[in-house]
Amino acid sequence: MARRRTPRPSRVRVRMYQVGFGDCFLLSFEYATALDDGRSERHVLVDFGSARAPGRTGARLLPQVAQLIQQHANGQLDVIVATHRHRDHIDGFGNEQAAAILDTLHPRLVVRPWTDDPTLPADARGPRLAADSHRFAAGLREGQQFAASVAELAGAVDARSLRGEVAALALDQLPNRDAIDWLEGWAKKAAGVYVSAGGDSRIQEFVPGIGARVLGPPTVEQEPAIVGERANDPEYWLALQAQLPQPAAALAAPGRDGDAPPPDVRPGPVAWLVDRLEHQRLGSLLRIVRTLDDALNNTSVILLVDAGDRRLLFPGDAQIENWTWALKDAPDHEDLARLLAGVDVYKVGHHGSRNATPRSLFNLWGEDPDTGRPMTALMSTLSGVFGKSEATRVPRSTLVAALDRRMDLITTDGLLAGQRFVEIEASTAGAQPFVRVGAP
Amino acid sequence: MPPAMTYIIDSGVPPEARKSRQLTIVAQDPTVRDAAGRIVRARVAVPADWLGPGPRGQRFHVVDYDATTDVLHPAVDLTDPRADERNRPWTSADRFADADDEVLETDPAFHAQNVYAIAARTLGAFERALGRRLGWAFAGHQLYLVPHAFCEANAYYSDDDWGVFFGYLPPIDGKTVYTCLSHDIVAHETTHAILDGLRPRFLEPGLPDQPAFHEGFADVVALLSVFSVPSLVEAVLGAADAQGRIDARLVEEGKLAHSALFGLAEQFGEATSGVRGSALRRSLQLPANDEWRTKLEFEEPHRRGEVVVAAVMRTLVEIWTGRLRALVYAGGLDRERAAEEGAKSADHVLQMAIRAIDYAPSVELEFEDFLDALLVADEVVAPDDEHDYRASVRAAFAAFGIEQPAGRIVDLARSQERLVYANLNFSALRFDRDEVFRFIWQNAKTLEIDPAYYLRVEAVRPSVRVGPDGLIVNEVVADYVQTLNATAAQARELGVTVPADVVKDKTEIQFWGGGTIIFDQFGMARLHESKPLEDWDRQSRRLEFLIRHGFYDRKKLGFSLETPAGMRFAQFHEPDARAGEAW
Repeated sequence: MARRRTPRPSRVRVRMYQVGFGDCFLLSFEYATALDDGRSERHVLVDFGSARAPGRTGARLLPQVAQLIQQHANGQLDVIVATHRHRDHIDGFGNEQAAAILDTLHPRLVVRPWTDDPTLPADARGPRLAADSHRFAAGLREGQQFAASVAELAGAVDARSLRGEVAALALDQLPNRDAIDWLEGWAKKAAGVYVSAGGDSRIQEFVPGIGARVLGPPTVEQEPAIVGERANDPEYWLALQAQLPQPAAALAAPGRDGDAPPPDVRPGPVAWLVDRLEHQRLGSLLRIVRTLDDALNNTSVILLVDAGDRRLLFPGDAQIENWTWALKDAPDHEDLARLLAGVDVYKVGHHGSRNATPRSLFNLWGEDPDTGRPMTALMSTLSGVFGKSEATRVPRSTLVAALDRRMDLITTDGLLAGQRFVEIEASTAGAQPFVRVGAP
Repeated sequence: MPPAMTYIIDSGVPPEARKSRQLTIVAQDPTVRDAAGRIVRARVAVPADWLGPGPRGQRFHVVDYDATTDVLHPAVDLTDPRADERNRPWTSADRFADADDEVLETDPAFHAQNVYAIAARTLGAFERALGRRLGWAFAGHQLYLVPHAFCEANAYYSDDDWGVFFGYLPPIDGKTVYTCLSHDIVAHETTHAILDGLRPRFLEPGLPDQPAFHEGFADVVALLSVFSVPSLVEAVLGAADAQGRIDARLVEEGKLAHSALFGLAEQFGEATSGVRGSALRRSLQLPANDEWRTKLEFEEPHRRGEVVVAAVMRTLVEIWTGRLRALVYAGGLDRERAAEEGAKSADHVLQMAIRAIDYAPSVELEFEDFLDALLVADEVVAPDDEHDYRASVRAAFAAFGIEQPAGRIVDLARSQERLVYANLNFSALRFDRDEVFRFIWQNAKTLEIDPAYYLRVEAVRPSVRVGPDGLIVNEVVADYVQTLNATAAQARELGVTVPADVVKDKTEIQFWGGGTIIFDQFGMARLHESKPLEDWDRQSRRLEFLIRHGFYDRKKLGFSLETPAGMRFAQFHEPDARAGEAW
């Protein structure tokens, strides 16, 4: 008996949900004829989280978005990709109401980065990891514990102060137990995979006829650059933890930061300096938490999806260190560059921050919109949340200007109140670019 | 047992008449070991002053406060406890000359001595080269040095806090790593503080060369300071034969000098697990061409600063190799003498580099201005240039596409126009900013300064220097800056290119210009170095750079780098992978 040809999707649709500062995307693939299970569509959810809800939606946001996903996926979710374990990418999975809704969609595969694997087993399907990678993953976990201690000691503080900035950033790093439990539950019930660069995402098994290439995160053995300043070393975070609560005591209360001056400081030049150093202590703590933030961003799954003639790039919050593998150090990086040059849809990395769209990636697309391939950029972001200066602000204005010049840039920041998602679609055949559904 | 004490009281000289103290420091950092496996240390001369507990001298105040653990370690007294009360602050007791390695690594008192000695020695090198006392950029006289400021792999100068803070890495495997024990880090951060005092406007938002120069110059001073310690040069020179001699063939083509620098580069940053220390290594690998001008990765200040480091290191290799040739006999040369010559060459190059600062523009510095200033300043103290050192400097910078600009430093003595000295008080010209302004005001046309723009004389500094030939050079260095605040629309009318898509018409923009005038001992203006405000081409390049890097806020451009004051040097050095990739 002749083998049946693998069915291929005829249309691809992407919905970007309004989650404020966070990411939530539904990729839907539509087939001309029904598949084995009678359905003629497949749905992949990439991330579901929010660090800051837009407008006044507040706590209602995540369940509302889950309801939309339920509608759009027609009762069945095939794949969940949790690019990395930052709050703004996964806390929807841990929201009681939202998770209960997603549970009714019976997700069939959960894809996570290798760094999230709690056991890092020698799974034949999983990446082969050596000691450095184990240490890196363990270091991240210790780092998250450190952040939890910082956040706990900080309590509720004014977000506009430096103290508040430290507390907020620490809060973003927290291990999101509920979300991880739900994801783990679905993975156990159905299937789960932890991926690394070049590994098999298994998405093709659940979404026939597409390509789903994993470009990141590399393992430490593949790409030593992925290791941040010190985030690879559990000992480092444990040692810092041992210093607590002293560093975080600075967070405890206003005034001379809550604790009495060391007993032997008399008024005078030494006391003046001791006082000044209190401020530096907070700055120091902020920088330490920031290294953890960068390290976690760099564990993002970078997914390159092919559906017929359409190609979509979903890099999570991957920063340059993660990208270095695909762009520079992978043995097949020249082939990858050719593939990346042909992207139709770019999910803007890390909500448009300065470090997550490497210039060497952007350069592959050329600057001229008239001669270059028509492209659509989807940017899920909320300005005014991160970055006090223009140079650190998210989204970064120079990047936004460059994207806007080169491609059709759609951002959730520009949506009207009540507009809960943006939808784009295209045929998988031919050169017709993606169009926005419902756009005037 | 208390650590052994070495007393250096010399009965013949009253202690207050002594010019220096001898103090033990870690030559580079605790990972650099001698053949016996001991930490390479050195006793260095530190300018003497009345020293209280801290140590707290006229220029530095060591406060050993740890903000992470909230512990204030006791102030350390480096003086001789046996001396009487009146004399004691002038004395010195180097307790650590024979101390065990473990003491050097763990005793906070030694850490205090180490930062004090290296910082004071660095400032001493500047004062010697410039022939005068130097002030800090802030209102105080004493720079705080904090050897264990916080538990963080970082060290930085904060002008707002009048101090240099050294962090430490948390103990891993029971061993704590202290940045205050790395000679290059202490010298680098101290140099930031000194340079900020000399040229406070280098922190204004300018072209990429300006912040890069702050880093590169701090690295240059740090490297040459480390290299001027003979015991260390010996340690990196490699093995000698039984007579202590090295094969002379190594001298040719600078091989020996090169490999010694590479040896040192290998060591840098080793102790602090990669915090800093890559500048020397990377600058030695920098291809000798001008690609850094166009490659985006070189817009990152530390990366760009490596170009300055590379050019100066090439100069050192050249000069040292020249001196080594003279030592060769019977196919070999003495290792100890080779190390001494290395240290001397480093000291000479260091003095040349420091002297250049006085002749550099007060603001809007570019690398070629530094080269220009270096060559002109050296010509003033060493007119004959016996060993042709200036040719070495020129060649080293030319290798990186940096050439001496024409006409930026004007020799006023040869000027066709006559300068007007009427109504000037010559003695006031040596110290009075108003008098120097009067001179500029009445000679603006001759000096080619446009008086339409706000001008302020910022500093007038007399200096006395002795050149290598014993010649005494007596000068006054006067710096002025010019500023203009204009809207983007006005700036466009002046001929500045301001990209319309990012900058609105009403956005206020600040422009800078300025220069340095050198007066001789008779009060006659000799040299004028200037970066005119109305160089609109330079201003356009500057704005393009600032905008591309987001160094502006929504309503203003060119006023600040948008980093909280005092934290400008505090951020982690960007990892190499990010260079040129970020937006």
